[in-house]
Amino acid sequence: MKLDPSFIWEALVKLLPVIPTSLLITAVSVLCGFVIGTVAAFIRIYKVPVLHPIASAYVTFIRGTPMLTHLLIIYFGLPLMIDALSSQLGLGFRSASIPMIDFAFIAFSLTAGGYMSEVVRSGLLTVNRGQIEAAYAVGMTTPQAIRRIVFPQAMAASIPNLSNAVIGMLHASTLAFTVSVVELFAKAQIVASTNWKFFEAYLAAAIIFWGLTVLIERVAVFLEKRVNSYNRGGVA
Amino acid sequence: MIKLTGITKSFGRQQVLQGIDLQVEKGEVVVILGPSGSGKTTLLRCINYLERPNEGRIEIGDFEVDCGRASKKDIYALRGKTAMVFQHYNLFKHKTVLENVMEGLVIVQKMPKETARRRSVEVLEKVGLGEKLDAYPSMLSGGQQQRVGIARALALNPEVILFDEPTSALDPELVGEVLAVIRRIAKEGITMIVVTHEMGFARDVANHVVFMDGGVIVEEGAPRDIFNKPREERTKQFFKRIMPEPAYSI
Ligand SMILES: Nc1ncnc2c1ncn2[C@@H]1O[C@H](COP(=O)(O)OP(=O)(O)OP(=O)(O)O)[C@@H](O)[C@H]1O
Ligand SMILES: [Mg+2]
Repeated sequence: MKLDPSFIWEALVKLLPVIPTSLLITAVSVLCGFVIGTVAAFIRIYKVPVLHPIASAYVTFIRGTPMLTHLLIIYFGLPLMIDALSSQLGLGFRSASIPMIDFAFIAFSLTAGGYMSEVVRSGLLTVNRGQIEAAYAVGMTTPQAIRRIVFPQAMAASIPNLSNAVIGMLHASTLAFTVSVVELFAKAQIVASTNWKFFEAYLAAAIIFWGLTVLIERVAVFLEKRVNSYNRGGVA
Repeated sequence: MIKLTGITKSFGRQQVLQGIDLQVEKGEVVVILGPSGSGKTTLLRCINYLERPNEGRIEIGDFEVDCGRASKKDIYALRGKTAMVFQHYNLFKHKTVLENVMEGLVIVQKMPKETARRRSVEVLEKVGLGEKLDAYPSMLSGGQQQRVGIARALALNPEVILFDEPTSALDPELVGEVLAVIRRIAKEGITMIVVTHEMGFARDVANHVVFMDGGVIVEEGAPRDIFNKPREERTKQFFKRIMPEPAYSI
């Protein structure tokens, strides 16, 4: 067997149309995960009664189990739950009508939420106590102080970790192929299935992932530079 | 007028404030002196509820709160009437000098942006930072940062400004510029409670000096009296320790 460089190119072109699918899975899981993670982080930092142990358990479970597990739990468990609920309430809804990609959205959002919670929490912990005290001293309420003073600084401090999380989720989005979502990896398999040039097709997918990753890194560097204009006196 | 009655505060088993009574007239500058750990910072922080007092009453103007059962609304009201200048400045790091001063005006006092901006610029010019409006705190010297801190407090137009050792984090050569600003605003008749170790400043600027030790007010009075003929043994010892003899005889 010999490498066929021209097929790498051919596969690359064929893979382009599914880039949006991979990006969509990444974007949805990162955005929902960010919201979930932020809520979990605040619950844990403020030790909200009842919710606090739940949030901690959620985070350790997510971080303690492979992402594939989360996907499979959602993929097999959620339909059971939905169908049981639907028949009990006499609704005509059946889980079979749920698009596959939605399982990926839900499962990966939960995964991202667990990781993001730690990112947001560590960001919040970098903000000096004096900042919120100063906000209180000028008369702000706690939500105002958090929204306007603490959270923006926490996010600025979290940019490197956030970009890591985004890149991680982009790469992990390939797992969606296990529930028959045609993302980059699945598409590479399909492209190669006619001529068995899997290696070339996977290389093409790798190139695309690499390119997307570099793009995310660029954005992170750009954001970091802007933030550093206040952190280090304008010399990044 | 500000009146504190029977303020107590404990951290765990340690009672840090053991019933503080203090009255401050409008326009007065009160300086609080005392050894480390005597509860000066805690007292200041109780006045704007950064620390929750266990018992006591706080009256500011016609506002009055019983500390045992202060509601959120009371706390915000109290904070609306006070402003604080911190030892470590605590400027909002991600906001420019101008934004630092405007923030409270716009977000808390709901002042229109343009009015808030004008007021902020005016106050910043007063503390000598009219040229630094767009700088971030990290680009400023300690003295400049603390002057922004003072401007931020002053702009709010509070009934009282609380200063917690405003110059003790500064390099010695920067202390003067900050004290000069505080002196200047003291002359404008703004009520201030200042915790400081700057005896010269206390002597010239204070109308009233309070000496604290062990969570109680040991002695208070006019600076002349406190500095020149302290009555209490603890006060005498404190002065002896921080000022070698000649420094405090006129
Ligand atoms: N958050 C806290 N938790 C526990 N103990 C505290 C806390 N804040 C202050 N204390 C204790 O309360 C006492 C008084 O502290 P405070 O900071 O009010 O003293 P101070 O007079 O301001 O001293 P200094 O001149 O060193 O600033 C100290 O013994 C301190 O250890
Ligand atoms: Mg102190």
